[in-house]
Amino acid sequence: MSDNLARVLRPTWESTPGHAPAEEPRHIEIVSPRSQRRARPKIAYALSAVTGVAVIVIAQLLLSVGISQSAYEVSRLQASQVELGRTAESVTEDLVRVSSPQSLAANAEALGMVSSSNPVYLRLSDGAVLGAPASAIGSQAGSASLVPNALLAGVPLVTELPQNTGQGASLGGSVASPAAEPVVAASVSATVPAEAPNALPTPTTR
Amino acid sequence: MASNSRSSSTRSSRRRSAATIVMLLLFVTVFVVRLVDIQVVRADTLSADSLGNRSVEQPVFGSRGDIVDSNGVVLAGTVMRYNITLSPRNAKEFERTTDTGDVTVTLAQAVAEVGALTGQSGDEILKVISDALAADKDSDYAVVVRAVDVSVFRAIDALDIPWMYAEKNPSRVYPDGAVAGNLVGFVSSGGEAQAGIELGQDACLASTNGTETYEKGADGVRLPQSTVTTRTARDGGDVVTTIDSDLNWFVQQALAKQAIATGAAWGNVVVQEVKTGKLVAVADYPSVDPNNVNGTPNPDDRGSRAFTASFEPGSTFKALTTASVLDAGAATPLSRIVAPYRYLPPNGANVNDSSSHPDLNLTLTGVMIESSNTGMSKFGELISDQQRYDYMTKFGVGSTTESGFLAEDSGILHPWEDWDNQTKYATMFGQGLTTTAIQVSSVYQTLANNGVRMPVQLVAGCRHADGTMTEVPEAVGTPVVSATAARDTADILEMVYQKAWLAKTWEIPGYRVAAKTGTAQMPDGQGGYTKGYLVSVSGFAPADDPQYVVSVSLADPVKLNSSAAPAPVFQEVMSQVLKKYRAVPSGATAPALPGTW
Repeated sequence: MSDNLARVLRPTWESTPGHAPAEEPRHIEIVSPRSQRRARPKIAYALSAVTGVAVIVIAQLLLSVGISQSAYEVSRLQASQVELGRTAESVTEDLVRVSSPQSLAANAEALGMVSSSNPVYLRLSDGAVLGAPASAIGSQAGSASLVPNALLAGVPLVTELPQNTGQGASLGGSVASPAAEPVVAASVSATVPAEAPNALPTPTTR
Repeated sequence: MASNSRSSSTRSSRRRSAATIVMLLLFVTVFVVRLVDIQVVRADTLSADSLGNRSVEQPVFGSRGDIVDSNGVVLAGTVMRYNITLSPRNAKEFERTTDTGDVTVTLAQAVAEVGALTGQSGDEILKVISDALAADKDSDYAVVVRAVDVSVFRAIDALDIPWMYAEKNPSRVYPDGAVAGNLVGFVSSGGEAQAGIELGQDACLASTNGTETYEKGADGVRLPQSTVTTRTARDGGDVVTTIDSDLNWFVQQALAKQAIATGAAWGNVVVQEVKTGKLVAVADYPSVDPNNVNGTPNPDDRGSRAFTASFEPGSTFKALTTASVLDAGAATPLSRIVAPYRYLPPNGANVNDSSSHPDLNLTLTGVMIESSNTGMSKFGELISDQQRYDYMTKFGVGSTTESGFLAEDSGILHPWEDWDNQTKYATMFGQGLTTTAIQVSSVYQTLANNGVRMPVQLVAGCRHADGTMTEVPEAVGTPVVSATAARDTADILEMVYQKAWLAKTWEIPGYRVAAKTGTAQMPDGQGGYTKGYLVSVSGFAPADDPQYVVSVSLADPVKLNSSAAPAPVFQEVMSQVLKKYRAVPSGATAPALPGTW
């Protein structure tokens, strides 16, 4: 059996003359092999571990500070969302209410419109006029709404609104609407009589 | 000696460790007992207590579904309202922080400020407080006012009164008021459905409330990630109706105007689409505003009589008899009879016309134009009672329609075997049986639709949050009479429209219209008749391609007790319907059928 292991021949103390092993104190030192020395913990490791823990602790602290800070932010935003939701609901309700048929009819009549239940048709193929053309007498005109709507109590007609308030809001809140309105109306008002500068033009159909 | 002392020290150390172990066990036992006590025995109570200190449970409201018309216009919707409540035992003066420093607000001042916003007097609110304290001196809850809107709620909130709280109260609102109010119905202040579609379709509309729990910190801020939904809220579905709210408003207005002018007790108008059987407008007079149900004192006026009140239809029913006779092949529109004023058939019945006249040589068309009861009797007896009964049931007389409206009346149609001699003849011209306005409309829909009866539709389905529709009614027609018989009947009705005494009143230029009047005595509920008449007009247009049925009924119009009362409403409504739905004006002229010979 042969191998390639290096072998150290042990000195045979007994055979060495002139040396009395008992007289000289034996100097024995445990020498750790290189592999063991390498595996021994170093201070850097300890430091890095401690730093890591510290970093984690600090990060944890910062995170929870952040989260609780966000909790206030979330809470504030949720409150404002609720408020805005209420506003949205309330204005939608107003809109739906004024777009009810009763409100539309009353406002149309207040603006001088009349409804016609006497349709007359012009047949294009032969130019025949179907029906008896007559000016509309307004089937609903003059009669109060007979279809009640309790929600409309206290809602003013467009003609009863203070001037410009309704328009100012829709023009993006610019309070300059008294000045702005003639500009808007200018393109249309060439043929419109000038007696009602701030009201919608009212045709005098009879 | 040495061994002796060693053994004694061993013994004492053993004793020590034994004592230690015993002590340790004792401690462990104490802790285990305490642990079990806290974690198992009192666990629920303790955790509930701890949660109660920091957790808040609040209801999550599911929103009741809307009732919408065929175009999506909301007829009934849910809005959030607020109940203003207070804690009576804490109601006393308080400090209010303002920009200029703290101000003391007395109780009287506080209630006056609130009262100004809610429309109550300060004393009324003080009475709420004193009443609550009288009932329970530790009372912590009393309602000041119910269901205020957002603006009032915000104004009260801004007053910063520490003992006043608002609680949510989802409420029902009807943006169009009385438009279709008789159909839509209403809910109680507690949110319970009480009438109409609200009640009939409650299974679709109803929502379930949920609850959620969250934990709050000492400053009242919700802890992140702590919201637990203990029960999910579920919104109700939307009920989609076939009604057109704009048209319904117009029809109600026209009906109410004429009903008031003629002094009618009540009335209704039904507008139905011929091809589909959908009800596009059902107007009732008097109408109820679901926002203000108490404004309609008579409970009978709060429902829809178009569905729930049956009456003897009278002469509008002759169209059904005519179609039956034509379909059975017993006569043609030009078949001839002699119509006397009084007809005494062999079975002993006694049939009279409404006014005295000499014997008239009439065709079937002429009988309809003159609305002769005697003439109609002579045609009706050409087929057997059983045949007529079968036709009636196929037309839907005597059974509720498919509309599914709550408490719908089926009308009264006795089996033909039970008809007495007079009833045999009376049923030919719309007496001795009762129908609702909806059933009459359905009969005319069948005649207009080439003899095919479509199921009456009021609700198009239940629309869920994900957009799916359920409970969509079947729209499969049932043939009742042949297309030829239906067409011939329509031609006859067109002659009635052109030649009858109301021709000028109900004329709609440009269109061919088929229509028939009816005048019937109203039963008094005790087997007899009242002096009042129920007058009606039913018809459809354009007659060459029928699109819409309009049926108008007025009960006891004391100032104009004839079909002249409903005729203008028919004219106005039919004009509006044809205009609104862009019906093409008629091209060809109506076939001329002679009424006399």
